[in-house]
Amino acid sequence: MKVSRSWLQKYFEAELPSIPAIDDALTFHAFEIEEVISDDVIDLKVLPDRAGYGLSHRGIAHELSAILKMPMKMDPLRVPVSAFPPTDKLVITQDDTYVLRHAGALVRGIKVGPSPDWLKTALEAVGQRSINNIVDILNYVMLDIGQPAGAFDVGTLKKDDDVVKIDIRRAKKGEKITILTGEEYELTDAMFVFTDAVGGTLLDVAGIKGGKSSGVTEKTTDLFISVGNYDGTLLRRASQALKIFTDASTRYQNRPSPELVGYGMRDVLALIKQVAGGELVGVVDEYPRKPVARTVSVTRKNIEEILGAEYSETVIEDVFARLGFSFSKNGDAYVVTPPFERIDINVMQDLVEEVGRIAGYDHVATKAMTASGSVPKNEVIAACNAVRDILAKEGYSEISSYVFQDVGDVEMAKPLADDKKFLRPSFERGHMRAIEQNGPNLPLFNAKDLKLFEIGAVWPKGKEKLILGVTHWTPEKSANKKTDAALGAVSEFLSAAAGKPLSSARIGNTLQFEISQLIGVLSATNAKPPSLTYQQFSLYPFVLRDIAVWVPDGVAASAVESIIREKAGALLKRCDLFDTFSKEGRTSYAYRLVFQSMDKTLTDAEVNAWMKVVTDTLHEQLNWQVR
Amino acid sequence: MNLAGRLHPISTPLRELASIFARMGFSVAHGPELETEWHTFTGLNIPPDHPARDMQDTFWIKDRKEEVMRTHTTTVTLRMLEKMAKENLTELRTFNPGKVFRNEATDITHEAQFYQIDGFAAAPTGQITLAHLKGTFEQLYKEYLGPDVKVRFRPSFFSFTEPSVEIDCWFHVPGKEGRWLEMSGAGMLHPTVMRNAGLDPEKTQGFAFGGGLERLLMVKYGIPDVRYFHNGDLRFDYAFEEKV
Repeated sequence: MKVSRSWLQKYFEAELPSIPAIDDALTFHAFEIEEVISDDVIDLKVLPDRAGYGLSHRGIAHELSAILKMPMKMDPLRVPVSAFPPTDKLVITQDDTYVLRHAGALVRGIKVGPSPDWLKTALEAVGQRSINNIVDILNYVMLDIGQPAGAFDVGTLKKDDDVVKIDIRRAKKGEKITILTGEEYELTDAMFVFTDAVGGTLLDVAGIKGGKSSGVTEKTTDLFISVGNYDGTLLRRASQALKIFTDASTRYQNRPSPELVGYGMRDVLALIKQVAGGELVGVVDEYPRKPVARTVSVTRKNIEEILGAEYSETVIEDVFARLGFSFSKNGDAYVVTPPFERIDINVMQDLVEEVGRIAGYDHVATKAMTASGSVPKNEVIAACNAVRDILAKEGYSEISSYVFQDVGDVEMAKPLADDKKFLRPSFERGHMRAIEQNGPNLPLFNAKDLKLFEIGAVWPKGKEKLILGVTHWTPEKSANKKTDAALGAVSEFLSAAAGKPLSSARIGNTLQFEISQLIGVLSATNAKPPSLTYQQFSLYPFVLRDIAVWVPDGVAASAVESIIREKAGALLKRCDLFDTFSKEGRTSYAYRLVFQSMDKTLTDAEVNAWMKVVTDTLHEQLNWQVR
Repeated sequence: MNLAGRLHPISTPLRELASIFARMGFSVAHGPELETEWHTFTGLNIPPDHPARDMQDTFWIKDRKEEVMRTHTTTVTLRMLEKMAKENLTELRTFNPGKVFRNEATDITHEAQFYQIDGFAAAPTGQITLAHLKGTFEQLYKEYLGPDVKVRFRPSFFSFTEPSVEIDCWFHVPGKEGRWLEMSGAGMLHPTVMRNAGLDPEKTQGFAFGGGLERLLMVKYGIPDVRYFHNGDLRFDYAFEEKV
């Protein structure tokens, strides 16, 4: 929610601190700050617990008042609402399964026009577009105290002997409505609508979005004002089914108190009178289920036992006073009556949080977590770690591949992509992809064959299993034979480690073992793992060059290598000796060179130039000959 | 001769983290990745049709109602609390590392599958407090990131904890300026969660926490892209060297 400091200022006599100080106050005592937008506006992340009161400037002002100990000069929610004049010119019927409270007003003789500057400025500061004075007033009141409202052009409604009749009812399956922005929606009987009970027209998806037919235009002179409160669950379902998410639906689904309706109506009517003139005919307020005032009790002991720090009664009582919580003492207990808008205060722990955050969590000093003795071993994790160690020692490297793929038995309701619809039933596809991806990179690791493994969940026939998959692949001749031999060896050394033959299943280049057969059989020791450092790898292709050189017997490979490394340039990534043989007093060393840049694709010409320097230098050595 | 293979860059840190937690009395717990709606949401005080469900983009399963890809490993905490109730345990501490899933578009800081390091400690009322949560994270980060780290709490909201906090950690990446980083959500287990697990919230109390592992590793090692972790690229394994 975007909040403007100048808007907040209207609640205070004293000048509010600067935006950075407000940012700090809210961050450490109330809300996360999403973004500081300007020296006047911040974007707050109001989470669901505080959304019933916090999605409003008044709510934020009240928080700041409590945090900064700055009294509010006026609080609209503490000024009682006077009774509205009744009317028989407006009849409203409503379905109480959906409508928790609804107030409707009839106003005549207003003048629709542009908003006054103060109203435009206030709305535009928080990113709202000014539309006309009536719509702007509704938005202003919503952003000011958190109560959404709607306005309908009475001229578009049919009347029954000059009486406006509105029915807030369950929609019929298949009924259609065109909303204010022009799109048509088909409704279901799980949704609720405002209808013109005389003419039968659908006017509004209740609590979610107004309809086009009765929208306020420049020609409008008479208004039906609607201020409601609706069932949060039903409204949320309707909003999700229609995929219409509005400022109003966001507020309603967070279940603000229906008490707020009266304050909303009062403020909307006052502003209309001030800005657009006209005359209030009367108000019809249906409030079938008035909630009873809640009390929640907490003791100082509760607070200290949960927060783990000491709080004096003075501090606790000061927090309650700053938050505007009235309380009485009953023995050790504070019996707190939260203000009506604080729907988030329901259990003792809610009060503990209020004390903790307002007093500040810096007050909570650290207490060490001590442990006596060693903790029980998780045998599943220990078996997995043992397997990891064995396989790594045997030259296998561990990967993690995606669980989502294009075939399988368990399908996502809303997949991330068409090729990620299913949970993997095995490692087969993931590891085939890993072969395609890593096979060409073997020279980067100075390896002749690709040896991979993964431990993770798979879902064959829809049932989750934890398995090990070991994969072998080689680009060399007789690849299949080599893979058969390698995977055969894996089965042997794992069985030997387990002390029993392990069952496994071969799919393609991958051999899979269920971890369940290793539990309690293999168990890693708790050796301290090594410390690691990370060096970003290049995302660009590498270039390979082989070079072989004859040297007199007795010249060490290291002598050759050091010349290569010195002359090949900064982008030589690897220099690996891959062949050595001696003949007639001479030794041949063959090296594979890998060139790679961190920031570009190398050209053959560049690499050839470096290789020429290497070759020339090797030639210059006495009795050396590049083959 | 075989050249040694490399462990995945999550395996080694997880062992180190588990050993730090073990010294504070936490054993390692795990649970299924394809979870019940109960253990992922409802039992954790995130009822159906509640706006709190929007806090996590969820993979629901077609034709298998009441099952989801777990969005956090707090699922394991609930399972462990249920175990406490069933076995009449008065205290338990577990560290629950595991893969979790979020239905969101991927980029250099977002991935649809990632690891969460989550856990809880519960004991008779008054023994495990928010101050112990602070102590746990201070020790964790001091041992894992270095002696100069600092820990602070900010108020937050999670349905399964009350009070709820965000844990920030002051960390000085070598060569960069020190800064506060948001590392983990946490709080004191909500009485409704205790009751849902079959425990008496007046008698048993504790904290729970959960945060992304990859984010912690990205900070610690200076890894620029979260997608390296689960795309099966061996170059990522080989980008790590043992410190000598």
